[in-house]
Amino acid sequence: MTDLEQAPAAPAAPLDPDAAQAAIEYCYDQGWSDGLPLVPASQPLVDQFLAATKRDPEEVIGSLEQVGRDCTVYMAAVNAAMAGCRPGYFPVVLAAFDALMRERAARGGGFQSTSGPAPLIVVNGPVREELGFNTTGGAFGPGFRPNMTIPRAIGLIVRNAFGVHPHVLEQATQGVPGRWSICVAENEEESPWGPLAEDGGVTGGVSAVSVTLTRTMEFIDNRHTPDHEDVLRDLADSIGRLGPQIFPQTPVALVLCPEHAQMFASRGMSKAGVQDWLIERSGRTAGELRRAGKGGTLRQKGPGGHGEAADALGDEEFHRVLSSRGQIPVIVAGAKTAAISMVVRIFGEWSGQAVPVSEWQ
Amino acid sequence: MPNAILDPTGATRMSKKAAASRAARRGSLAGARVGLLINTKQNARPFLEEVGRLLRDEYGVASVTDRTKLNFAVPEPEEVIKELAATVDVVVTGVGDCGSCSAAAAADSVVLESAGLPVAAIITDSFRATVEKMAELRGAADFRYATTAHPVAVLTEDQVKERAASVVSEVVRLLTDPGQNDSERADPENAE
Repeated sequence: MTDLEQAPAAPAAPLDPDAAQAAIEYCYDQGWSDGLPLVPASQPLVDQFLAATKRDPEEVIGSLEQVGRDCTVYMAAVNAAMAGCRPGYFPVVLAAFDALMRERAARGGGFQSTSGPAPLIVVNGPVREELGFNTTGGAFGPGFRPNMTIPRAIGLIVRNAFGVHPHVLEQATQGVPGRWSICVAENEEESPWGPLAEDGGVTGGVSAVSVTLTRTMEFIDNRHTPDHEDVLRDLADSIGRLGPQIFPQTPVALVLCPEHAQMFASRGMSKAGVQDWLIERSGRTAGELRRAGKGGTLRQKGPGGHGEAADALGDEEFHRVLSSRGQIPVIVAGAKTAAISMVVRIFGEWSGQAVPVSEWQ
Repeated sequence: MPNAILDPTGATRMSKKAAASRAARRGSLAGARVGLLINTKQNARPFLEEVGRLLRDEYGVASVTDRTKLNFAVPEPEEVIKELAATVDVVVTGVGDCGSCSAAAAADSVVLESAGLPVAAIITDSFRATVEKMAELRGAADFRYATTAHPVAVLTEDQVKERAASVVSEVVRLLTDPGQNDSERADPENAE
């Protein structure tokens, strides 16, 4: 733990709850809140955030061109402070925001979308322990300050720095449950494979953050079979289901519990082996798509689409929803308490780039 | 004296957006070259093509050409705007039926108007707030557009034609009505 992460010393004077409440109400009145109370940010607090990075406070770290707004290091610091982050989290917030803005969908209207996508933030490396991330049970939260406040900081940046407010520029029909609260610290200690950051190009076990936009997650509870291919078939069924199919390809992030990951590894499967098995077998037949009114999905052009040739596909023809490992990043998270994994639906496609935290310290 | 509570919006960085100019209107569409800017959403093409057909058959436009938006979710790049300005006299765009594409239609419209092209954007009525906010951000707080009932994507071929027919007179009005005069519009006080 660095000095910046130390809790402040006990106050000399008694704390004033009435002043705190008034300040919180002031923040609500300004329209800055996501609905929950904010920590009112003062210059001394924000200065601690700015001291946690070498970056210039005026550096622009992200722009939303279509609305003509950008975010500086200083604005990110104010929002991170308001979100309840500790100053020491700030380089992780900046790395997460950097990773998010590498997503084509985030730059291209994703925050305004009727889909209401949620960033999935994945943290790797020693920073997990240094800052007190939860890396085991209840991986999707709540209960742990860095896991909850870092994604909230990103949500506040989108709201306040980019000016994307619900019902105005933000047009989510229902949105994703847990939007702006999903931050998973990978359970590297119980994973049989390398961390996600490695797949995102950051090697050597250093601290790094990966982010993709997601639409929902679906659990796969499969705890009674000794046959790992039974589990893979169960995963493939959820990955290939019809509901999310609006484009020919439907990428997912596979968040495996340690028990499932270790079962696959014990049968000699690498991460790539799991990915390849699922790429081959996840999908539905053309007939199933047509009967759900999604024949047009097959007819789309571009990756995985069949164009005009779709009309010649027989009803029994199998349509795969994935075509590359990049479309199915694999993360190991949670506790070794039950064989429950999660299929997280990706909005667009993961950039495939992890961001080292050191770039933002 | 307690510390001030800091503003997270960067309000001090934001420069006031200058009022965007609105293209001069021609009295009628007779002889005009119409460009359809189709946003690729489901039914957008047949909808706009039917509007184009009606403009040709009933309002005497000289030609109707179409181009597909490169990405429905974001405003078109400058070269597309320039190409439209060089090849057509007025533009019909749509159908805005989602968060990003409705806002992008408003942004495209403001840029095209500044380039001298009258525009009629067709948006489903669920997305008024986002269109008006985007237009305001672009300096066109009094932006006008045509609406049609949401949803459009599930309409049959015949229903799309009916919808196009029901909106075409509003499209013509948007493309020909001079509206408020330009000196009033150019007043920056009115753009806020």
